[in-house]
Amino acid sequence: MLAQQIMNGLVAGAVYALFALGFTLVFGVHRILNLAHGALLMAGAFIGLYAVLAGIPLWFAIILAMVGAGTLSVLIDVLAFRRLRASGQAEFGAIISSIGANLVLVSIAQRISETKVLRFPFATFPVVFYRFWGLRVSLLQLAIAGSVAFLLGLLSWLIFHTSLGRQVRAVAGNPRAAVLLGVNPDAIYLRTFFLSGAMAGLAGVLVGLSFNSVHFMMGEPYLLRAFVVVILGGLGSIAGAVVAGMGLGVLQTLATAYLPSGLTDTIIFSLLFLVLMVRPNGLFGVANTGVGRR
Amino acid sequence: MGLGVYQSLFDVFLLNCGFAFSQFIVLRAGVFSIASAAYAGIGGYATAILVTRYGVSAPVAVAAATALGLIVAGVLSIPLARLRGVYQAIATLAFVEIVVSLGFYAEDLTGGAMGINGIPKLVGTGTLCVALGAVLYLMVAIDRSGLGRAFDTVRQDETVAGSLGISVQRSHAIAFIISGGIGGLFGGLQSLYVYSIEPQQFGFALLVSMLASIVLGGRGTVIGPIIGTAILTALPELARPLAENRPLIHGLLLIVIINYLPHGVADSLALLRRRRRAANAV
Repeated sequence: MLAQQIMNGLVAGAVYALFALGFTLVFGVHRILNLAHGALLMAGAFIGLYAVLAGIPLWFAIILAMVGAGTLSVLIDVLAFRRLRASGQAEFGAIISSIGANLVLVSIAQRISETKVLRFPFATFPVVFYRFWGLRVSLLQLAIAGSVAFLLGLLSWLIFHTSLGRQVRAVAGNPRAAVLLGVNPDAIYLRTFFLSGAMAGLAGVLVGLSFNSVHFMMGEPYLLRAFVVVILGGLGSIAGAVVAGMGLGVLQTLATAYLPSGLTDTIIFSLLFLVLMVRPNGLFGVANTGVGRR
Repeated sequence: MGLGVYQSLFDVFLLNCGFAFSQFIVLRAGVFSIASAAYAGIGGYATAILVTRYGVSAPVAVAAATALGLIVAGVLSIPLARLRGVYQAIATLAFVEIVVSLGFYAEDLTGGAMGINGIPKLVGTGTLCVALGAVLYLMVAIDRSGLGRAFDTVRQDETVAGSLGISVQRSHAIAFIISGGIGGLFGGLQSLYVYSIEPQQFGFALLVSMLASIVLGGRGTVIGPIIGTAILTALPELARPLAENRPLIHGLLLIVIINYLPHGVADSLALLRRRRRAANAV
């Protein structure tokens, strides 16, 4: 029973990690908190769902969701953040601006869905269960674990082994120095925002499939949990987000299973608060710029 | 629409002004706390519980809510003194979520998701006016005193503030405590105005609307939060399409204002007037 809970938690955590990665990537490169990230997850789920309802096969609907959410993410960057970045007041401004973008996306989704909870048609994803070592694993869980692992691998290859990755890291380290080296920061921002949005979009479809529920407010709890994941893992850290995401998934599943109901959120957010007090750079973080006491 | 509609709209405006000032005072001192929603929740629940369960009279209950807000914010300011910027914002967001989740969890005390119903309506326009008047007086008094100048200095540059002998930690703590007091006070007043409260209304949405009115109105002058709240409260009433798309319009307003009018409506007007006066003087 415990092993089953832990496994379910790891799968849930993989989705948290996938979602939080985009959030932490944008923070790592831009030093801004994108509070519209939850809305991108919701947008991905909506695009995927409506594509499936229109008769498009699931694999293609997932690609559409990723491209769609990625494009929305780029739009948010251009419309809500670009001007702020030039003004140099990005820290406060970006939070406000992205709250605005979040409200816009959520209210459009509310309009489209008429405030209803939507569902994927039955057996959009084949309902198959496997048993081994006494554990019950659904095909969907395997697919989630597989696709998240693949994307994490792809992302870390992109960031650490390609020219694009070197440019991203250069811009993250110091945008001005990057310009001197011939890197165009705006082009890099577009790509990080696209990647971040696409991962949120995939997370959205996966969440929609595994809970079989898609609604306009679905992004908010994930956004709040993304804060926990990125702070636990260290803001801007990719490896940290993965470990913390899986950890949060397990913690949440165990807390729901073994503790009085309703206490889960209290525990998660108390943990977030505590970690910020004790180790603001995250459990695995190293002290870098702009953290803690100046 | 009769006069009554406008009066209740005015009451809502007064309540939201109070909440906005709770958010305003921390930003004024350069503290990036968004915990005001939590103070409002704590004050609101304290008042509702005291009045409905223990039969405490309204003034005493509201005073207790204010005191509780002061104390909670004061205690919260101690660990938060270590953090700055987005880290402070995230920590206070966590605090808001903790308060909301406790509201759901502690059913015996708070009624859980159902909230507390049947709270007597003991607060009217007059009481709200008096309370907001007191808060305004406090704000203007701070603005004109050394404390206001200390807040401005700390917000602009902590190192300079330190070199001038201003204690950053003390200024931040004072801002926190005032914010908590105002939040608790208006949370308590709101409880005695709206008949029923539930945990969800003290969450992310309240936090956003508090921030929105300040960003819209302006963060630098006392009149700013009032103008911002007035616009946000009145806008949906002007036309039906505006009311139907309220969150959409709030969202668009936030993006446009922070990008093109980053100081807010009131502060930008004040800046314009100052510039014109300077030009005339030459």
